[in-house]
Amino acid sequence: MLLAPLGLIYLLFLLAPISFFLAVSFLKYSATQLYTSTPTLENYQRLLFDPFYTRIILDTFRISATVTVITAVLAYAMAIELFRAGSTLRGLMIFAAVAPLMLGVIARSYGWIVVLGQSGLVNRVLLATGLISSPITFIGTEFTVIVALVHFMIPYMLFPIFSALAGQDRQLVPAASTLGARPVRAFLEVTLPLSRPGVMMGSALVFTLSAGSIVTPTLLGGRQVAMIGQTVYELVMSTFNWPLGAAAACILVLCQLVVMFLYLGRARHAG
Amino acid sequence: MPAEAEILPLAQLASPIRRPAIELTGFARAGLAMLVMLLYVFLLLPIVVVVSSSFSPTRSDSYAWSQASLRWYYEFFAAPNFTSALWFSLWLAAVTTVVATVIGFISAYGILRFLGKRRRTGQSLAMLPMMIPHILISLSLLLALTRVPLPELAALVIGHVLICLPFTIAGIVASLEGVDPDLEAAAYTLGASRPRVLLEVTVPLVAPGVLSAMIFAFIVSFGDVDIALFLSGPGTTTLPIEIFSYIQWESSPVVAAITTVQIALVVLFGLFVERLVGLKTAMRI
Repeated sequence: MLLAPLGLIYLLFLLAPISFFLAVSFLKYSATQLYTSTPTLENYQRLLFDPFYTRIILDTFRISATVTVITAVLAYAMAIELFRAGSTLRGLMIFAAVAPLMLGVIARSYGWIVVLGQSGLVNRVLLATGLISSPITFIGTEFTVIVALVHFMIPYMLFPIFSALAGQDRQLVPAASTLGARPVRAFLEVTLPLSRPGVMMGSALVFTLSAGSIVTPTLLGGRQVAMIGQTVYELVMSTFNWPLGAAAACILVLCQLVVMFLYLGRARHAG
Repeated sequence: MPAEAEILPLAQLASPIRRPAIELTGFARAGLAMLVMLLYVFLLLPIVVVVSSSFSPTRSDSYAWSQASLRWYYEFFAAPNFTSALWFSLWLAAVTTVVATVIGFISAYGILRFLGKRRRTGQSLAMLPMMIPHILISLSLLLALTRVPLPELAALVIGHVLICLPFTIAGIVASLEGVDPDLEAAAYTLGASRPRVLLEVTVPLVAPGVLSAMIFAFIVSFGDVDIALFLSGPGTTTLPIEIFSYIQWESSPVVAAITTVQIALVVLFGLFVERLVGLKTAMRI
């Protein structure tokens, strides 16, 4: 059978390791053997009730939600402008929006280090204009993590919204204005509700991608910002507490899947 | 997480669209245009700054254009940790591409010709690694290494093959769909053996699609962070991970030079795909 190799690969290297990973998240930690064979709910209890970890989880949600909302507003504005542009300009605008995607997340975080560093572009400009007298510390703050994540996520939000707008019947807005609606009202009551599936799809993507980010908070957030992804990375790579790391990863992935299915399910209803 | 090419409906974006469903009055229109212009500055700023600082003669990213130098490019090619990571990344991407393309072709052919009505199910199942967050894939492979005596390198290759398979399968299925099964049947009737039909009829017909799928797989592997972040070890560190561990401690325009080289490579590949099959077709996968 031609599909046997693929099935075997997925079974052996995808499904089996992930099942084992899930199982380990329910095992007791041991400093000498990484994990023991004693089943326990301890890891999940610690993550969900220990204030150290609940803060990280809540921070992750807060940062991801902030990024999602900002990205949605900005990408919506961009999507509208994309519509209004002529076809040459639109091509350029699309290219410029996709261009940052070609750089990986690491290169882009480095870009922000250069722009926002102590002697970076922003600080130099602010110092030169006399707005500030000593450089502002941007690196290592939540603000910078959010800026970089928004920067990273805009394309993921832009294209679902653009598709949703493109699918709308273009007679609807003229119809609304014929019926006496002012442009703002036509937008709020016709265009916006109809583009909801696109906004939702984009939000689900942006939220899950932000919540799972490791590199951006590590490079730009320093010790000030802790997100679940980093915590998993540290637990597994430096503390070697596999059971706790696995449980943290499982909580993260579970949240991502729930958000994804919730949004997609509702988007389908709305569409 | 779903990879970029899957969720960006570029083909749809590039096709002519119907005109706005949005009306704006003068003031709002100007305000919106301003906002979006600023947004583009925001989007492109880090890239422009990185590229420009890679030509800086000093550690600072401000300099006069006449002083532009290739110093950081020389330093990049003189730094053994970066060059060996670059070669390793290229090697890994090449191996991954070959493996993912061979398995991808066999699977795509199987899905299209032998699954009949269950084709859709088969195709969705083949996309499985795309649905699963990549961090989970790499973490569980790393954990499995504590039980299975496999070298770390093997796990890294397996991880990369896994995340590339959805791309090669989808790409090859798309181009195989364009092949009339009657052509294969005709060759078969004329006495060609099955392998010969495959090699002399099917493969030449889908060659451009296969090649673009290969380039996609190469780019996905070359740019991967999530898998290599956990599965890279001493001697098997990919370029992105080498950069990641470097800039955690230090920030030098060498990284800007490497990043610029990466941009150039991706643009080059993009142009190549464009020449080959047209970017629109390629992005449809």
